[in-house]
Amino acid sequence: MAAAAAAPTRAEALSLFRSLLRTAKQFSDYNIREYTRRRAADAFRENRALADAPAAAAAFAEGKKQLEVAKRQAVVYSLYAPKSKSVMELKVQ
Amino acid sequence: MTSVSIRSRTSSLRFKICCSAKKETVDKVCNIVKEQLALPDGTAITAESKFAELGADSLDTVEIVMGLEEAFGITVDETSAQDIATVQDAANLIEKLVLEKAS
Repeated sequence: MAAAAAAPTRAEALSLFRSLLRTAKQFSDYNIREYTRRRAADAFRENRALADAPAAAAAFAEGKKQLEVAKRQAVVYSLYAPKSKSVMELKVQ
Repeated sequence: MTSVSIRSRTSSLRFKICCSAKKETVDKVCNIVKEQLALPDGTAITAESKFAELGADSLDTVEIVMGLEEAFGITVDETSAQDIATVQDAANLIEKLVLEKAS
C-alpha cells in the first residue's frame, strides 16, 4: 500500500528511541512509565542487529505506531491521574 | 588580614577553565552512568572515561542522557546529545544548560 520505506538511519532510530523515552516520562503512573521505558529499551535492543532493510523499516514503522499509541495514552492517563504515588516512588526513609 | 584568606579562595577558582564542570557534577554523572550500565562496584570511572569504553552502545547513551535530564532537570536537544562521548562532555553540557536555565 505505502511505498517501501527505506531502512531508518542510525540517527532516526535513536531519535525515535528518545521520543519514546520522553513520552514515557509524561506518565504520572510509575508502572506505566517504567513499562514504557523498559519495553522501548528491550525492543530496540532486540532489533539492533536487523540486517536487511525491509525488516528494519518494518520495525521502525512499528516503533512509530507505538509512539503514537504512547502519546495518546499519556494524554488520556493525565486526565485520570491517581492521587497517591506508588510505593516504589517513595523515598527510602 | 582575614579578607586575604577569602581572596585566595576566589583566586584558586579562577584557575579553572570556565567551560570545565564542577567536581560534584562529574561525580553525579559518574554515578548515573554506573547505575545505568550496571557496572560492578570496582570500576574506575573518571571524567575522561568514554561511554563506548565502558561498554555503552548508542542506545545506552540515549538512556544515560535521559537519566541525566531527569536528575538535573534540564532538556538536552538532539544535536547536543550526539556530541556527548565522555563523562566530561556530559558534565560540561549539563553545567551549561543549568546556567542557561537559571538565567
